[in-house]
Amino acid sequence: MISQFFVLSQRGDSIVFRDYRGDVPKGSAEIFFRKVKFWKEDGGEEAPPVFNVDGVNYFHVKVVGLLFVATSRTNLSPSLVLELLQRIARVIKDYLGVLNEDSLRKNFVLVYELLDEVVDFGYVQTTSTEILKSYIFNEPIMIDAGRLPPLGPAAMFMQGSKRMPGTAITKSVVANEPGGRKREEIFVDIIEKISITFSSSGYILTSEIDGTIQMKSYLTGNPEIRLALNEDLGIGRAGGRSAYDYGGSAGSGAVVLDDCNFHESVQLDSFDVDRTLTLVPPDGEFPVMNYRITQEFKPPFRINTLVEEAGSLKAEVILKIRAEFPSDITANTILVQMPLPTYTSRVSFELEPGTVGQTTDFKESNKRLEWSLKKVVGGSDHTLRAKLTFSQESHGNITKEAGPVSMTFTIPMYNPSRLQVKYLQIAKKSKTYNPYRWVRYVTQANSYVARI
Amino acid sequence: MSGHDSKYFSTTKKGEIPELKEELNSQYKDKRKDAVKKVIAAMTVGKDVSSLFTDVVNCMQTENLELKKLVYLYLINYAKSQPDLAILAVNTFVKDSQDPNPLIRALAVRTMGCIRVDKITEYLCDPLQRCLKDDDPYVRKTAAICVAKLYDINAELVEDRGFLDALKDLISDNNPMVVANAVAALAEIQESSSRPIFEITSHTLSKLLTALNECTEWGQVFILDALSKYKAADAREAENIVERVTPRLQHANCAVVLSAVKMILQQMELITSTDVVRNLCKKMAPPLVTLLSAEPEIQYVALRNINLIVQKRPTILAHEIKVFFCKYNDPIYVKMEKLEIMIKLASDRNIDQVLLEFKEYATEVDVDFVRKAVRAIGRCAIKLERAAERCISVLLELIKIKVNYVVQEAIIVIKDIFRRYPNTYESIIATLCESLDTLDEPEAKASMIWIIGEYAERIDNADELLESFLESFPEEPPQVQLQLLTATVKLFLKKPTEGPQQMIQVVLNNATVETDNPDLRDRAYIYWRLLSTDPEAAKDVVLAEKPVISDDSNQLDPSLLDELLSNIATLSSVYHKPPEAFVTRVKTTQKTEEEEYSDAGEQSYSDSPARVAESGASPPASTANPQHPASRQPAAPAALPDLLDLGMDNSGSAIVSVDQPATPAGPPLPVVLPASSGQGLQISAQLIRTDGQIFYSMMFENNSQVPLDGFMIQFNKNTFGLAAGGQLQVPQLLPGTSASTLLPMVLFQNISPGPANTLLQVAIKNNQQPVWYFNDKIYFHVFFTEDGRMERSTFLETWKSLPDSNEVSRDFPASVINSVETTLDHLAASNMFFIAKRKHANQEVLYLSAKIPRGIPFLIELTAVIGTPGVKCAIKTPSPEMAPLFFEAVETLLKS
Repeated sequence: MISQFFVLSQRGDSIVFRDYRGDVPKGSAEIFFRKVKFWKEDGGEEAPPVFNVDGVNYFHVKVVGLLFVATSRTNLSPSLVLELLQRIARVIKDYLGVLNEDSLRKNFVLVYELLDEVVDFGYVQTTSTEILKSYIFNEPIMIDAGRLPPLGPAAMFMQGSKRMPGTAITKSVVANEPGGRKREEIFVDIIEKISITFSSSGYILTSEIDGTIQMKSYLTGNPEIRLALNEDLGIGRAGGRSAYDYGGSAGSGAVVLDDCNFHESVQLDSFDVDRTLTLVPPDGEFPVMNYRITQEFKPPFRINTLVEEAGSLKAEVILKIRAEFPSDITANTILVQMPLPTYTSRVSFELEPGTVGQTTDFKESNKRLEWSLKKVVGGSDHTLRAKLTFSQESHGNITKEAGPVSMTFTIPMYNPSRLQVKYLQIAKKSKTYNPYRWVRYVTQANSYVARI
Repeated sequence: MSGHDSKYFSTTKKGEIPELKEELNSQYKDKRKDAVKKVIAAMTVGKDVSSLFTDVVNCMQTENLELKKLVYLYLINYAKSQPDLAILAVNTFVKDSQDPNPLIRALAVRTMGCIRVDKITEYLCDPLQRCLKDDDPYVRKTAAICVAKLYDINAELVEDRGFLDALKDLISDNNPMVVANAVAALAEIQESSSRPIFEITSHTLSKLLTALNECTEWGQVFILDALSKYKAADAREAENIVERVTPRLQHANCAVVLSAVKMILQQMELITSTDVVRNLCKKMAPPLVTLLSAEPEIQYVALRNINLIVQKRPTILAHEIKVFFCKYNDPIYVKMEKLEIMIKLASDRNIDQVLLEFKEYATEVDVDFVRKAVRAIGRCAIKLERAAERCISVLLELIKIKVNYVVQEAIIVIKDIFRRYPNTYESIIATLCESLDTLDEPEAKASMIWIIGEYAERIDNADELLESFLESFPEEPPQVQLQLLTATVKLFLKKPTEGPQQMIQVVLNNATVETDNPDLRDRAYIYWRLLSTDPEAAKDVVLAEKPVISDDSNQLDPSLLDELLSNIATLSSVYHKPPEAFVTRVKTTQKTEEEEYSDAGEQSYSDSPARVAESGASPPASTANPQHPASRQPAAPAALPDLLDLGMDNSGSAIVSVDQPATPAGPPLPVVLPASSGQGLQISAQLIRTDGQIFYSMMFENNSQVPLDGFMIQFNKNTFGLAAGGQLQVPQLLPGTSASTLLPMVLFQNISPGPANTLLQVAIKNNQQPVWYFNDKIYFHVFFTEDGRMERSTFLETWKSLPDSNEVSRDFPASVINSVETTLDHLAASNMFFIAKRKHANQEVLYLSAKIPRGIPFLIELTAVIGTPGVKCAIKTPSPEMAPLFFEAVETLLKS
């Protein structure tokens, strides 16, 4: 059981503080913050999420720049506490619409009310927004959401694409729209985070997709919902990693998941037969299904790096990226980064003539090259030339002292796994009942690295 | 709803408190509610608003739940500081607990349980009794937790009122939330009680497994964790349990998955069918890997657990090494753990892939990570003989990049590789020597010097290389000085020419006359004496063959590993420490686990000179010591059996009987090193207290075929800093003979940090055998000093002067006091002194005192019914952290 829960700002101010058991001394928030801060300063390292100071165990997670912390004196399950901290953040976000320091401070009474229902004497009672609704009486006070960064991966729908109704993401599950009526709508987001490591010769060394089908429902009366996925969806790699597995699955076009798990509201009765999920979605945002794929997939970007030495104190780096997805798809907020040798003193950049929305930078402090592109249309390629000047002679092999090249990006309406929601059926209450349904796909780079 | 809550934080001109007071007493509901919100706002930012207690409590009687909750929040915070006023709230609480609205009933019980004020607690019992049987499950589940709250405040009350039975009934409740909370509450109560309260039978097991399917995710964790303490009767039952638990592996909540893994791993121990086990391993792999897709914080916990799991069952993830490759955006704490697991999973089959990764990591920017990657390459070389050469060539490639810290780290690991594969890879020494000038870290320098000394005969300019270090000898850190000393001696023994001879003069002079480091000086003198008396003997000693080191990547001791595995999915499995090493509140279990396992392991790594020094310093072998303290020896074997059982013998033999049934012929001291593990040498030993001094009473029996001599003893760091106060006096032991000795002990020498424990690690060596290590237990009562007696008045004053938080108590359900006199005599013999006694109903209450070195007193209260099992021991002391050890000692003394 946990002893205390608190939320600290980046500066270490305590925004919310609730003591459940009174067995941890008062100054725990300060002790925690000092420890985390000095961990960084001492070793240049990040404090691990779980540590012990003077018999008190501290657990923390970072959510939108805030530290969610719990303390305990007992040998309890750390994954329970860390998971709980994430869920508390999600529940608060469900209620407040937006989670940040400002919204927490404005709604502190509601937050304390929530905390008392979520945890009793250190034991988790429930983190279901749906269940909590019957016990919570305070109403949230909305803050101006427009300029605030929201929580979670669905945040990426906020940027760029006009097709996405941006307000949905920052809407509270309990508050009414201005005008009194609630809009009947449901969001299903297929979010895939991809990790790829390319070898220096361009081969894929490792690749992985971490996917989530996330749902957020604003339907009144909680109707039953059916989600149909690809009919030929396979689960589990048969046996080891034989070449047959890769060849076979890639050839037939079937999507094969290594492993998946489901939210507790999901009924899997018909899943084995026709790959449909049945559920009564609880209020709030929640993952319907998480899945993991190591089956080979087509990487959305290819990266080509060329390093040429030009004399003992100069070198040129040529970076080329090619977008290998269809031309009706556009990736946005692309950032390409590459660490340069520590003795690099100056870098001059050269972009292709006529490019717009691209910027380049040499970060002196950590000797890092940064190239950002606002948008990349499918099928296009882009090149950057960087001329490096060194303050000392290189040891002979620049490629050993620079790189790897890493990339971050977001690609809306595209997912490399080809997992699809074929249809989204809502049990009808009446003939006129026809709520808005949003099924959205997005792909994001997790660890996208090319070695040089 | 009016505006923003944050406006409540704004201050007013008039003075906040009077204004709030006025508003709290307003006739308008809304105004009162707003005022309470302002009070709460002030409270949360740390302002003292306790003076408004009465006014806030007056707002409590309301039908408005929002307002009621706010008032309750206030009450929880301030009731403790205003216990007299808190009583004002009792009536409303009791009334609320019978409200028709179940939310209000539950809220009343929940809040009362959080107010740790005696007057409130008294009134809690009746409502709690009702709520435990309430019709509404929300009320029952709140009441279940409330029992745990009450137990924490007043355990006796819970037992007297029969709440434990009511709680046990709730395990069969039809609502899974109620079941889960009842399980959680019972588990907590069990944790703080020494009596069996919540034992899982096969009946409760099946009930709980059924409830598991309907519970919330959190309830599933409570239940799985409680069930993990269950020991299945046989393989079939274990298989049944596993079958019921396996579906939990598909849960989206990582805590559920890990708790299920723990449960399955535990039951697997009992399952005999290899097919079933293989199948289970296969089922566990994907969910374990999926944990690595969660948030980095969860990944960290998962990795620390996986680290343990692969040590026990390497097959589970043998094919999954790729998922442990580091991602560039992993936090450093995740990367470090992944490296550790990669080393553990590295095999001849995947080593090429793994080396490619390590090489890549070794060129990253984070210095600590790079160092660890380099070290990982070395560890793979030591672990996988067939891959050693490839590992070395990767290390050499890295050295060529000439990044300073990479080079230094590489040299440190290459030294270890040389220890593992002697005389195999010296061809690379020349490459290493090129980097000599760049070394500036002591460990790297010391490693390089060791290599030069060890291979002095194959390095043409070894003398020049060493000489270059000698110039700065006085400034070097001790680690480097020691290595320089040994390396120079090695060089001289291998190449006894003029150059080295001069060098050895300089070094010995530097290391004896010009230093104040005793280790260095002693070692130098030993070498000096060796070299001057018998150079051949010196050669035998200094150039002796060293034991080959082994891979340390499975470094956990098997018994510790087993304990940690039984604690999978708890903090213990993240810290890799047994729970008692970091949990301060939990009762100490009977067995004390070792904390420092590294010692034995490091020994094999540490360089030979340390041993050389030891053997060099041992006293002349065969001279029997004339001052053998035969007179003082209580000669444990000769200790008269205490026929009258009056506890007259304070030599500690009474304690011995606990560990060892006193067989008349057998040795009265507990055996700490059986002959079977000591190559025929058997050692029995025990700490005792005689004449106000602590001795280590020992007996050596030589059952081997050779005479043994030159016995020496050393104690590892321990909680009390116990160390030998003199030489170990043992004459030469002919085969078939034995000898006893009393080694005087001193305190506060080498104090190990961390929580107090009773572990005493001992190392014994002699001239014929390897060093023996064994663990003994420190009996706390040997520290009770003779001057522990207290006057009654002093006792009372001391008792009063110590805060209540220093009072700790413990029940000994199995102990019996049959006669007060006998017991008191017996305790007095161990320096626990009687002060007073009184009768309370049918119970005898005894007051005693004891004192440990540095004058730390213990004030003791023993409560028992004469002749009936069950003794309660309460103590007060300025050092409550010693309480668990103290209790253990008292329990031992009472048993005998």
